[in-house]
Amino acid sequence: MGKIQYKQLKGSQNMRLRLLLSTLSSTPIIIEDIRAEETLPGLRPYELSFLRLLEEVSDDCSVEINETGTKFKYKPGIVMGGRHLVHDCGTLRSIGYFLEPLIVLGLFGKKPLTIKLKGITNDSKDPSVDTFQKTTLPILKQFGVPPEGLELKIVNRGVPPKGGGEVILSVPIVKELEAAIWIDEGLVRRIRGYSFSARVSSQFENEMLHKARGIFNRLLPDVHIYTDHKAGVQAGESPGYGITLVAETTSGCCISADTAVYRGGEEEDEFEEKKELSPPGDIGEKIAATLLAEIEQGGVVDSTHQGLLFLLCALCPPDVSKVRVGKLSPYGIEVLRHISDFLKVKFSIKPDPATNTVILKCVGCGLKNLSRKAS
Amino acid sequence: MGKDGEGGEQPHKSHRVRKSGASAKKKSKSKPNSTEGLSKELQKINNPKAFAFTSSKKAKRLQSRATEKEQKRLHLPTIDRNIGEPAPFVVVVQGPPQVGKSLLIKCLVKHYTKHDLPEVQGPITIVSGKQRRLQFVECPNDINGMIDCAKFADLALLLIDGSYGFEMETFEFLNILQNHGFPRVMGVLTHLDKFEDVKKLKKTKQRLKHRFWTEIYDGAKLFYLSGLIHGKYTKREVHNLARFISVMKFPPLSWRASHPYILVDRFEDVTPPEKVHMNSKCDRNVTLYGYLRGCNLKKGTRAHIAGVGDYHLSGVTALADPCPLPSVAKKKGLRDKEKLFYAPMSGLGELLYDKDAVYININDHFVQFSKDDGANPEGTEKGKQRDVGVELVKSLQNTKYSVDEKLEKSNISVFGKKPHISEAPEAVEKDHSTQSNYKEEFDLDRGRVRRKAVFENEMDIDNKDFFLVHKSGSGSLLVTSQDSGEDDDSDSNDSDETEKGDEDMLSDSGSSEDKEDEMGNISKWKESLLERTSSRRNINLEQLVYGTSGSKSSDDMKDAVEEESDEEFFKPKGEGKKKSNEGINDNDVDIDDCSKFVSTGSLKDWKNEDLIESIRDRFVTGNWSNAKARNELSEGTVGDDGEVLGDFEDLETGQKYEGDHTDDVGISNKDDALAAEERKLKKLALRAKFDAQYPFLQLDTYNGDGYSDTLKEKMELQKQTNIAELADVDEDKRVEIEGFRTGTYLRIEVRDVPYEMVDNFNPFHPILVGGLALGEDSVGYMQVRLKRHRWHKKVLKTRDPIIMSIGWRRYQTVPIYSIEDRNGRLRMLKYTPEHMHCLAMFWGPLAPPHTGVVAIQNLSNNQASFRITATATVLEFNHAAKIMKKLKLVGTPCKIFKKTAFIQDMFTSDLEIARFEGASVRTVSGIRGQVKKAAKGEISNKPSKKGGGKEGAIVRCTFEDKIKMGDTVFLRAWIQVEVPRFYNPLTTALQPRDKTWQGMKTVAELRREHNLQVPVNKDSLYRPVERRPRKFNPLVIPKSLQAALPFASKPKDLAPRKRPLLENRRAVVMEPHERKVHALVQHLQLLNTEKTRKRKRKEAEKREVLAVEKSKEEQISKKRQREERRVRYREEDKMKKKIRRNPQS
Repeated sequence: MGKIQYKQLKGSQNMRLRLLLSTLSSTPIIIEDIRAEETLPGLRPYELSFLRLLEEVSDDCSVEINETGTKFKYKPGIVMGGRHLVHDCGTLRSIGYFLEPLIVLGLFGKKPLTIKLKGITNDSKDPSVDTFQKTTLPILKQFGVPPEGLELKIVNRGVPPKGGGEVILSVPIVKELEAAIWIDEGLVRRIRGYSFSARVSSQFENEMLHKARGIFNRLLPDVHIYTDHKAGVQAGESPGYGITLVAETTSGCCISADTAVYRGGEEEDEFEEKKELSPPGDIGEKIAATLLAEIEQGGVVDSTHQGLLFLLCALCPPDVSKVRVGKLSPYGIEVLRHISDFLKVKFSIKPDPATNTVILKCVGCGLKNLSRKAS
Repeated sequence: MGKDGEGGEQPHKSHRVRKSGASAKKKSKSKPNSTEGLSKELQKINNPKAFAFTSSKKAKRLQSRATEKEQKRLHLPTIDRNIGEPAPFVVVVQGPPQVGKSLLIKCLVKHYTKHDLPEVQGPITIVSGKQRRLQFVECPNDINGMIDCAKFADLALLLIDGSYGFEMETFEFLNILQNHGFPRVMGVLTHLDKFEDVKKLKKTKQRLKHRFWTEIYDGAKLFYLSGLIHGKYTKREVHNLARFISVMKFPPLSWRASHPYILVDRFEDVTPPEKVHMNSKCDRNVTLYGYLRGCNLKKGTRAHIAGVGDYHLSGVTALADPCPLPSVAKKKGLRDKEKLFYAPMSGLGELLYDKDAVYININDHFVQFSKDDGANPEGTEKGKQRDVGVELVKSLQNTKYSVDEKLEKSNISVFGKKPHISEAPEAVEKDHSTQSNYKEEFDLDRGRVRRKAVFENEMDIDNKDFFLVHKSGSGSLLVTSQDSGEDDDSDSNDSDETEKGDEDMLSDSGSSEDKEDEMGNISKWKESLLERTSSRRNINLEQLVYGTSGSKSSDDMKDAVEEESDEEFFKPKGEGKKKSNEGINDNDVDIDDCSKFVSTGSLKDWKNEDLIESIRDRFVTGNWSNAKARNELSEGTVGDDGEVLGDFEDLETGQKYEGDHTDDVGISNKDDALAAEERKLKKLALRAKFDAQYPFLQLDTYNGDGYSDTLKEKMELQKQTNIAELADVDEDKRVEIEGFRTGTYLRIEVRDVPYEMVDNFNPFHPILVGGLALGEDSVGYMQVRLKRHRWHKKVLKTRDPIIMSIGWRRYQTVPIYSIEDRNGRLRMLKYTPEHMHCLAMFWGPLAPPHTGVVAIQNLSNNQASFRITATATVLEFNHAAKIMKKLKLVGTPCKIFKKTAFIQDMFTSDLEIARFEGASVRTVSGIRGQVKKAAKGEISNKPSKKGGGKEGAIVRCTFEDKIKMGDTVFLRAWIQVEVPRFYNPLTTALQPRDKTWQGMKTVAELRREHNLQVPVNKDSLYRPVERRPRKFNPLVIPKSLQAALPFASKPKDLAPRKRPLLENRRAVVMEPHERKVHALVQHLQLLNTEKTRKRKRKEAEKREVLAVEKSKEEQISKKRQREERRVRYREEDKMKKKIRRNPQS
């Protein structure tokens, strides 16, 4: 026990996940060969920003990065939480990238976490903050997280390339999670949408939601899309608009799809630019189609949230959790692998051919919030 | 008489109440007191208010007290996640040396198994009933062993020498138990046959019982073993004790319920022998065997071996239960009676199942063809009678190991019992501490110091008994020496048996390998079958995710994917994309980190009516029955699926299973159990369904039951769902998902343990392997709430190393004590408070909050006083908490302006001053001020040459009023105290057990060793305060003011008169009569003075004479006293010598 034994890992893949699991299981890690072969080797600024965020919320954690940034050591500390924290997420990745691990980490802190995150609220790569508000937080509630104090407040909108958005996340602490048996996907009861436009005419928005609703109307009467036109400071620094659609089922599951349209920066590839050219109506139709595809797939969560769902199952006390998802997403598979690697929790994965879904079962690792103070 | 006895039941005579005589009178006397005889009316007449409240306040108070009592009784229910039959309950038998621990275990084992146990070594597992197994462990007599035993005991039998009274060990053990979760405790009084006086026996019992109760709770069971018959406790009493044990219920303890642990009952060194040959001090691989307790053990968890360190459990395998419950065991063998018994360390029990071998241990008197085999050294001498064939076989067996290797092995598992360290007899006989209400008393008995715990109220009795007890103690000396002789004999036997076991293992290993090969072929063939037949492919999906083998390299993953690529459904959606990306990123270890799945394929056109219809049933507008069918169907198919798979495995793997474990548990019984379980589940499922249908009803019942019942209900449901969900998973998968269940017998392989563990292995000391939860193997600062034990004599000093026992671990660390101030500041304490809790912060392996801690300063066995120094509970891990120490900077003014002053001697450099700018200062007289800045060359009244160095250290301060030159200015500051980053795990298993572990020493110990004085700072010593008398200048009133003053206030300083007054100057001439009177008065006065002078002289003479007489008397009495004292001392010395000589003889 004298020397710290580091877990050796390679590559920049799933860095967030690795760091999150490393902190939760308090295993120090070394990641090597981070983009060693590329023209721009080493850590990207957003990854550095994430490391800085970890340092912000936890105490006594240490990060050592080598000169080229292709290798770093991370020794996790104790998640402290706390109020009035501020973190600038940068403009390379959206806030969603940081929120995903942060909400899990915040649950196992010493004090409840309240943090202001600045950066991009909506983009097409990561889940938007609306998705977090409407879909991710209800997932947490399934696992026994108290709804009091679990909140995401959107202060300003911000889209790439300049960002300027601001959200305030507050996460309560838990003693331990509760195992969930969650296989009833139910029937879609209603569809809610949340569209926004920042520094552009609200006409874009209207057209988009009009087209989207056109598709749903044949399936369901209860469709309502809220609009959120922002101007001034609240609109951030770049123009753009976007939409998040959430389908709620009779059993309380939320399935979401989101997208955002904005003028791409220099780093956007041609693929993105093409998308930008499409008219708002097409965007609306496309996102509606995405949501319907998710619904068709089945499962209690959409493909974006599979990873989070598996992680929460694995962090439960040693009781059986059972969940149903649609097809396994690549990220979900990565999460499963990492969970078995770090937490030694393996899932029993069984397909359900009748519904084309997959049922996963696991016994949680029994993580308890060790950093909580004994009263 | 005989006829009646045999014939049938003899009718008992019914009891007839006495109607006359003494007992009838007694009853009639007691009756009027009871309310029975009185009618209700009469009661009311006598005391109408007796049963009513007189005041509402009192009523309220009583009510609240009643409810409080009710709530106190309640405990938050804990979930019991153990499934199936529990591991044997551990019964730890603890007590001071020579109190009869081994004998009690032997008697209990004899009672259960009808087996005579030669010696108690290591845990002994027995089946005590149809549903219950017990594991007896004798607690070793050192504090380390006691701590370890307290951590795994389910029931502690505290043996107390009734003829002697309580000893410190008992209380120490109780205290350890209390802090590591309080398991069940039962006291057992032995040596009661030493009492000759029945009355005294009764009184002693009473006294000990009450003392025992105060320690545990009123009514705690204290059992009496009245004496020995043929060297054993009486059968009836042992039987009764066994009854008490058998009805005992064991509550779950929170630490143990959340950590897996194993009490090792078999220990083997499996290092390759050639490696040991090359280097006898190489790191060893060992295997540890034992029942899994606590919670499920997952593969790959780390574990702490008490007294050794943290290790990865490199190989964990479940073995067949060596001591199964009778309901499960096949009734195959003849000697069912002896099978209920397993004690490999004592060399008993017959069948040992290993991962790759079965050991058969045949008791000598059961072997028909030869009386003894090669394993018995005495047997070789009688070898002449042997069959040739038998001898041939035996010699073949022997060729596998050379003799010296065998000897090495044998010395591994068996050790002779080490004699107790005899205490030097010059120890202090009695030591009465006056400070607390308990007292310690030591006396020398059978060559060791007995540490008696004496309490004030019983002091007198004990002192009276002292000599009597002592005599009886010395009488039993002969017996002990005989015992040790027996020990040696049994040692040699044991070593032989283990040797034999080793041989068996080697001979069997070859065949088992063959078996495995066969199995390998079968499984291959079956795999292809599986691929062809099964359309479910549930294994494939898992393989896809986790890879085929344990290795998690991305290449493997890719291969697996390619194999299955023809199945569209099971292809993970991103796989295609991954491959396309490969062109861009040549290795996929750097793929983008994104949870959102962006489908590259074209989206379907959802305007198409057919497509819409296809998912219509997923919406509330669709057909609900269809949707319902969808869920139901899926459930049904899952069930079918499971069944199909189960059948499939019954055909193939079922056989394989049997082939693998020849002596497996009965399948039919298992099926029965399964059926029963299923029935239970169905019931619960029905219940759950009902609850779902009628939620309002459910609510009602819950409200009626109360919170704790609701929780209990919830937990039970959770447990049942756990069982139900895991029921359809096959065995290997289940182990992977939830780990090994509690109660399984495990073989654990641990690599690279120090060779000392093997060398110094002692079966008398149990080995505890405790699993560590997530995050418990990391090291950090911990904060505990600590209280010095009230029986420990000294307060504890900050930074004195102390040994902590937390969780499974024992380690030495350096704590800093602190206390929380009103404003939340942690103020350092030099010493722990006398009777209060304080906080202690130290560096060490982390343990979750609420864990109990026991602190010890000295591990030595012959230490006189109570060894537990403090107890604590973990509060939190805290890296941020800063412990502060007060620092007072003192300075004096060197120049004073109006409200500004220059202060010197407070700081040593400008830098320091800069750090304290804005800090508040105060003078002794209470004038407050503030530090401004360093003064730079502003002081002109000081010679710059002399104070050149000091000039930098002068600071400008402003005050609320002008201060005086004589004032002292001080600045109150706080500085942080560093907590030393030191901890040292106790490696007591890596050294001979009778050696005291030596860790870091305290400063005081080092000083004592090196004979060093405590350094004294002369400045800190107190000197007598010298106060010069203050000289005040005369008050001067200005002339102008004087003139204005009224006369009364004017100073009246006239010059003294030079000429005497007239009255003094003029002469007096007396009249003749006056002159006469004057002369007479003068004469009388003269007479008087002469008289008094004479009287005084006389008195002085008298006094002198008296003094001389008195001194003479005093001298005589002194002489007499000295003589008396000398006689007394001589007698006392004689007595002491006698005592000293007695135990040695």
